Amino acid sequence: MYRLILARLLQTLPTLLGVVTLVFFLLHLVPGDPVDALLGETALAADREAMRQTLHLDQPLMVQYVHYIQGLLHGDWGKSIIDQHDVLARLTERAAATFRLAVVSLLLAVLMAVPLGYIAARRHGQTADTAAMVFSLLGVSIPNFWLGPMLIFLFSVTLGWLPVSGMEQPGAIILPAITLGTALAAILSRMARAAWLEAMTLDACRTARAYGISELRIWWRHAARLALLPVLTLFTLQLGAVLGGAVITETVFDWPGLGLLTIEAIQRRDYPMVQGCVLLIALCYVLANLLADVLALILDPRQRHVA
Amino acid sequence: MWRNPAVRLAAVCLSLPLLICLLAPLTGHNGHVVNLDSVLAAPSASHWLGCDALGRDVLDRLAEGVRLSLAISLSVVTLGAALGICTGMLAGWYGGWVDALLMRLTDIVLSFPGILLAIALAAMLGPGVENLLLALVAVGWTGFARLSRVQVMSLRHIAWIEALRAAGLGFPAIAIRHLLPNIAAPLLVEASFGVAAVMIGEAGLSFLGIGVQAPDASLGTMIREGTRLMLTNPLLVVWPGLLLFMLVMAINLLGDTLRDHLDVKR
Repeated sequence: MYRLILARLLQTLPTLLGVVTLVFFLLHLVPGDPVDALLGETALAADREAMRQTLHLDQPLMVQYVHYIQGLLHGDWGKSIIDQHDVLARLTERAAATFRLAVVSLLLAVLMAVPLGYIAARRHGQTADTAAMVFSLLGVSIPNFWLGPMLIFLFSVTLGWLPVSGMEQPGAIILPAITLGTALAAILSRMARAAWLEAMTLDACRTARAYGISELRIWWRHAARLALLPVLTLFTLQLGAVLGGAVITETVFDWPGLGLLTIEAIQRRDYPMVQGCVLLIALCYVLANLLADVLALILDPRQRHVA
Repeated sequence: MWRNPAVRLAAVCLSLPLLICLLAPLTGHNGHVVNLDSVLAAPSASHWLGCDALGRDVLDRLAEGVRLSLAISLSVVTLGAALGICTGMLAGWYGGWVDALLMRLTDIVLSFPGILLAIALAAMLGPGVENLLLALVAVGWTGFARLSRVQVMSLRHIAWIEALRAAGLGFPAIAIRHLLPNIAAPLLVEASFGVAAVMIGEAGLSFLGIGVQAPDASLGTMIREGTRLMLTNPLLVVWPGLLLFMLVMAINLLGDTLRDHLDVKR
């Protein structure tokens, strides 16, 4: 098992290099001369030259690339071209807010998804099952940039129960967490239902029944261990995906995290900051995927044979 | 087919956007025409769904948004599928370094949350529909590539495919005439869910201001403009979002039905 985990860890290295490479080339996707895009066409020649040098744009692409990677490894993720703020420092400042939002959304999603999946599987083919699956369909289909404003309109504007946006007031996290967590809850509850139904067809569960073990115990002790495994894997995979969704959700609610920072940087054409945001989120995503695979290897012995 | 409740629900969901598209031309308004006399006008006999902050007819703008959303998502999925299937089939057929190279490329794209990569690409390339398409295709092809690779790998050593090779048929002929029809089912399911995902992606980018640009109407830009006026005119947000929601739900339902029908495991 340890060899498999080690192999999986080593596999991550080329992926990380690929991510860094793509993020590096993002700056070169900007049409025309990046310096023009950054400073405007009316900038003084001296300023342009200075900018060209700080970004190493006067050197060959390979040299720029090596510079970029060296910088990343030394904790130098570049400087904002708007306020000269260190990119990495700004990212760590903002990461806490995103982390809080992500944790609450994920918790919310699991607390909704597991009972929903359980009820749907237990009442398979009955009204409760249909209701749970309709909820799941609604959840995956509703765009979060619409769900957010609708929740604000209902709970903040009409009822006045919760703050419209920002992070300071108490309860401010509730609406963004629901917005971000709904799609997740929908995906997870579908997975929980399917996995539970499959687990219940296993011989082990049939035998447990024959022994006269109570139905509740079979569902939650014997079947749940198997059923919740894919749910856990999917959940871990979503740890990273939720950061992608946070970009839009944070914009809707003015939640001062990484997602909002990304959009602010895009609007100000602060390209080094955009690169930093994208890189950090992608790194978290890669790590979450790694974690999902390693967890599956540890918790499910069957996976070791497949791999 | 109509016995299936999912198909019936999908038809209901599709009927509202369709109705909007059919009714819009009847009122004779152009959603691009700014009319300062009818700023934020309430629904009336002339403007059936009222007007937005620039006095433009909401009904016509919604119809344009639905058309654009469908056009963009269908083109992105078509292009993405073409690119992905070619990549995946080449990788699966030739194996070796071709496979390794193409799959590393796929892995790199897949190591970003899809929406984030699309946002980053669209932001760097600059506004405009072409760049929006490019960004969405760049993210959307990977699923097709992985699927067709796995399928081709399992078909490659089947006797009748080997017989075709022995008979001297080249890869393009085998791929188009013989492999593609045999791997079509899972790709079709992938494509149908892809349309729904691209629809949300396009509207999301437009909502963030890096997709479809004024004066064109996209459901995403309409939601963006509407949220600023939500306190006074909530309907400006409700309509475009509801239509997008219905479209996406209908396509997801059809995708589910297709998957069950074709017996594809996903």
